[in-house]
Amino acid sequence: MFEKYRKKSPWILHYNAGSCNGCDIEILASLSPKYDLERFGVVNTGNPKQSDIFLVTGPVTYRSRERLVELYTQMPEPKVVVAVGSCSCTGGVFRDMYNVEDRVDRYIPVDVYVAGCASSPELIIDGVVKALDILESKTKEMEFAKKLQNKPKIEDGIVSRKEMPRRVGENDEES
Amino acid sequence: MKKTIHIPLGSQHISLLEPVKFKFECENEKIIGVDSDVGFVHRGVERACTTKFKFDGVGYVVARVCGLCAITHSMTYTASIEKMLQTQIPLKAKYLRMLLLELDRIHSHMLCLSHVSENAGFEAIFMRIMGDRELIMEIQELITGNRVQFDFISIGGVNRDISSEHIKKVKEALKVVRSKVDGYIDEFTNNWSLSLKYKNIGVLSLDDAYRFNAIGPLARASGLKIDVRNEIDYLPYSEIGFEMQTSTGGDIHARNVVRLNEIVNSIQMCENILDALPEGEIQTKVKGKPDGEVLVRYEAPRGELAYYVKGGGKPMLDRVRIKTPTFASIPSFSHIFMGSQYADAPAILASFDPCLSCTAK
Repeated sequence: MFEKYRKKSPWILHYNAGSCNGCDIEILASLSPKYDLERFGVVNTGNPKQSDIFLVTGPVTYRSRERLVELYTQMPEPKVVVAVGSCSCTGGVFRDMYNVEDRVDRYIPVDVYVAGCASSPELIIDGVVKALDILESKTKEMEFAKKLQNKPKIEDGIVSRKEMPRRVGENDEES
Repeated sequence: MKKTIHIPLGSQHISLLEPVKFKFECENEKIIGVDSDVGFVHRGVERACTTKFKFDGVGYVVARVCGLCAITHSMTYTASIEKMLQTQIPLKAKYLRMLLLELDRIHSHMLCLSHVSENAGFEAIFMRIMGDRELIMEIQELITGNRVQFDFISIGGVNRDISSEHIKKVKEALKVVRSKVDGYIDEFTNNWSLSLKYKNIGVLSLDDAYRFNAIGPLARASGLKIDVRNEIDYLPYSEIGFEMQTSTGGDIHARNVVRLNEIVNSIQMCENILDALPEGEIQTKVKGKPDGEVLVRYEAPRGELAYYVKGGGKPMLDRVRIKTPTFASIPSFSHIFMGSQYADAPAILASFDPCLSCTAK
């Protein structure tokens, strides 16, 4: 049930790791009536334990690094990370400043990169929609892994192979 | 026996755009102590301005201190360099600068108002104001080519000219915004349920505003008459109909009223600028390297912004010091929180319109 509807209503978590607010207000603008990210079922939430998509803005500063990794680990699987803005993708203008560590993907794995200073709401929506596809494929991968762990069910002496892992070659015939 | 509870707010919270940490010490529902931590987004811009970038590029770097008031930062820095090099910039460039500065003020205040209503629990007004704010963002995109970081001001003038078609479009859009803002003034002053959340909450008295050195809309809502736009000479604000907006009361409601009146005044100023736009060049050539030291102030949407720049006749500057508005207001923030209800804390915090990226630099 959860797997089926996760794609229909993903919740996003937003964290500012040291950006200039430009990308943050563009994220707010993309949630507002003109661009309306909510038509994809996206809701902005403040709780990492309920969210599926992680929007990170800005380069990672010395003090926000710990919090960034902490928030990432608190999110449940499957999760997708979207790096919004040039600073979070590459470090941008803040690269090599003394209190800036590096870009985001040195600390947490990033799935979608959104460029621009500041990223326009159209680009952010594009990135989030792309993240939805990745979320779906990640969900499928997780389900496949779950099947491998299942033990064969035996009812009335007959082995039910419905829940069992597939053998080599079996997968090819179906698809 | 008294028992106190410690409640942390932040560093990541739904009502915060940016990381800031407050530790509230509460007695039942009442706040009796506040401890704030603002340094999460410190990047070291001041240092980089003197080691990484040459003086003609620093104007675009300091714009990245804050995305909301980006143009005020580059404006103040540019004005300080021009003062050091003793450059006279053309009148048309001055007028175009003022146009963009006032548009920036309008959209910043609208964001603040929508944020205050969201944090007080009025999602519908948040959505409406954010929807109308897009009109201003469209104007900015039309004139400068970018929505937020527009790099419009350069040393010696501005980077883009405005065409007569654009003037027409901007005027039409401003008319629409004006009618919408009139609706908000009605809503914010007469709505009964909004008044329950805003009136007599988070009060800063005139004496306290004076004592804690409050600036910007926070001070003007308490009746303190300070506005840097009244005192500067490098931009002709008296020519375009600037009026200082003050209110009495010092609560969240008064701050909202001051912001709304400032939006109306800014729209008026933008219309006046477009009506009386002078002919001429938009850029002059600037020669020489900055030498000496200078302090320039400007009124950002949140209060007084000051730049101290020191140069030694070399392409690299010796020192750039940025004094940001939110940093100066932190003592009054902490004072207002004392004695108010914990449930009102997000709304009070939003009504200050804090900008932590500015504060931490």
